[in-house]
Amino acid sequence: MQKIVLETVGLTKRFGNVTPLDGIDMQVREGEWVAIMGPSGSGKTTMLNILSCLDTLSEGKYILDGIDTSQVSEKERVVVRREKIGLVFQQFHLVPYLTALENVMLAQYYHGMIDRDDAIEVLNRVGLSHRYDHLPSQLSGGEQQRVCIARALINQPAIILADEPTGNLDESNEQIILDFFKELHAEGRTIVLVTHNPELAEFADRTVRLHHGKVVQHAA
Amino acid sequence: MAASSASPSQAGMFLRILFKSLKVRRNRVAITFCSVAIGASIITALACVYFDISAKMSRELRTYGANFFIGPKAASGERSMGSQTGQAALQVIPPDKLIGASPYLYGLVRLDLGNAVLAGVDFPGLRRLSPYWQVEGEWISVSFDEDSCMVGKHLAKTMELKVGDSVNVMHAENGFQKRLTVKGIAETGQAEDDQIFVNLALAGKVLGVPGEVNHIMASVVSQGTDIDTLAAQLEREFPNLDAKPIRKVSYSDGKILDRIKGLMAIVAVIILSVTTLCVMTTLIAVVSERTREIGLMKAIGADDRGVVLQFLCEIMIIGVAGVTAGLGLGFLLAQVLGQAVFGSAITFRAVVLPVALIPSLLAALAAAALPVRMALGIVPARVLKDE
Ligand SMILES: Nc1ncnc2c1ncn2[C@@H]1O[C@H](COP(=O)(O)OP(=O)(O)OP(=O)(O)O)[C@@H](O)[C@H]1O
Ligand SMILES: [Mg+2]
Repeated sequence: MQKIVLETVGLTKRFGNVTPLDGIDMQVREGEWVAIMGPSGSGKTTMLNILSCLDTLSEGKYILDGIDTSQVSEKERVVVRREKIGLVFQQFHLVPYLTALENVMLAQYYHGMIDRDDAIEVLNRVGLSHRYDHLPSQLSGGEQQRVCIARALINQPAIILADEPTGNLDESNEQIILDFFKELHAEGRTIVLVTHNPELAEFADRTVRLHHGKVVQHAA
Repeated sequence: MAASSASPSQAGMFLRILFKSLKVRRNRVAITFCSVAIGASIITALACVYFDISAKMSRELRTYGANFFIGPKAASGERSMGSQTGQAALQVIPPDKLIGASPYLYGLVRLDLGNAVLAGVDFPGLRRLSPYWQVEGEWISVSFDEDSCMVGKHLAKTMELKVGDSVNVMHAENGFQKRLTVKGIAETGQAEDDQIFVNLALAGKVLGVPGEVNHIMASVVSQGTDIDTLAAQLEREFPNLDAKPIRKVSYSDGKILDRIKGLMAIVAVIILSVTTLCVMTTLIAVVSERTREIGLMKAIGADDRGVVLQFLCEIMIIGVAGVTAGLGLGFLLAQVLGQAVFGSAITFRAVVLPVALIPSLLAALAAAALPVRMALGIVPARVLKDE
């Protein structure tokens, strides 16, 4: 058995009287590919924000690679996120005045080590070999999302957290990204992927279904 | 720059982000730059004038009459002194502080239609001493003109004299008389309106006391009590003379000066506050615009230090550029003010630099405080999910 890298115990999140997450127990092992599914508003994004340390939980525990995240300071959470996690957002968030290459190098910059050749190689991997010097506004949605994925991968994170990475893409772009996740999985990365798309979920080792903030099914 | 295949250094990347970020917001950058530059230029101009004003204002106020009296010692009972002695006494006043001076010799004379007080003066000196005289016709311009006179306005009226007329001046006792041309008619609003003015040498002859003067009036630039020191020094060197400041004028000079300085300080503070508010408003707008970008930077690993550093560096670049431009503009503005108000150039004093620089930069930083706090308060999870 692989070691557990993500573990939530009774994870609860409240916004005032809204409780989008209500006592979630979940474990993800090293190298596992887990899909999180559920209807809109079921708490998927909220869950991913907590898993990526972008948000804090209200009750319960979240242990990331042996670190109890609710016990550490905001500063340390930033470091944990930077070191261990690659994030892909539901929208394609890029810095609008930096080129594709610079957006990828930005992640290296915050990580403390800029390597232009590495950044180019990752952009090549996502099929953007001739788009380095384009601004986000000069790229298609699919291309922008691929830049986001390149940025998430550039620092070789052990864990990849993606929130509907193909939600706004057409089929051919979806296929490119799906293939890419397969590759990453084969490399042994841990992947947590939020998706509406059952086809995408099929390739995961297992699916966690959320409904009204509760886990309704752990499927193989 | 993508053509170079070398990886940028951390600092290089920092600067690249910095300048691209400034470039993409060039309108806001321009507004902020202009606000800072205008604010700094006004502060600089006021500071330049402020530190140069004591000398300039005092000089300016000095054009409103004499403030220093030199005469024979009152205790001695003498009514006049030698003209040479008076001239020697004047040498004690530093030339750069002496605006103007004139000897005075008074006596009663007969004109064609009646008696009048004759005053012997040094016209060039008198003109510097009393530039506020309203003269119809012309000033007598040289001190050796013995054929012309100037007449007070009131006297001219009673004697029915006009510019260009000639008038007979006669001493009742010694009978000396001379025909003079009226070159100018002066209105002063004071006792001079009833007097007739001629050159000192001529007055000496008419009155039969050549080489004598009653007293000398001078206009001296003064700050604080240095005019008292000057009077004391003069009396020490010339024991037979009385030298005294004409107190009232000097005192009110200082008071007006203090008020003007206070006013300038208030204006400076107001300008600084308005500039700060303007810059702050722009920066708040910038942070609101960049909420998502800042959230993103945090999400991909920027810590608070990184966010503050980037933001403050952007502001400091604009601030330093704005203040530098403001210093130059401000000095030019000071020259315009100097010419308009004092009719002279403003000297740049080193003390202006810290006085203008420090508050301007502090104001820029103060303006940034709230926007930076806003930027720090951005929660990535919240701003990144907004559609
Ligand atoms: N900051 C917030 N304040 C209040 N309520 C919130 C906040 N964020 C999320 N919620 C609520 O929490 C619930 C779950 O939201 P979440 O974004 O996690 O849904 P989701 O599963 O990602 O939906 P979708 O598939 O549409 O992206 C929703 O009912 C939402 O209204
Ligand atoms: Mg969502």
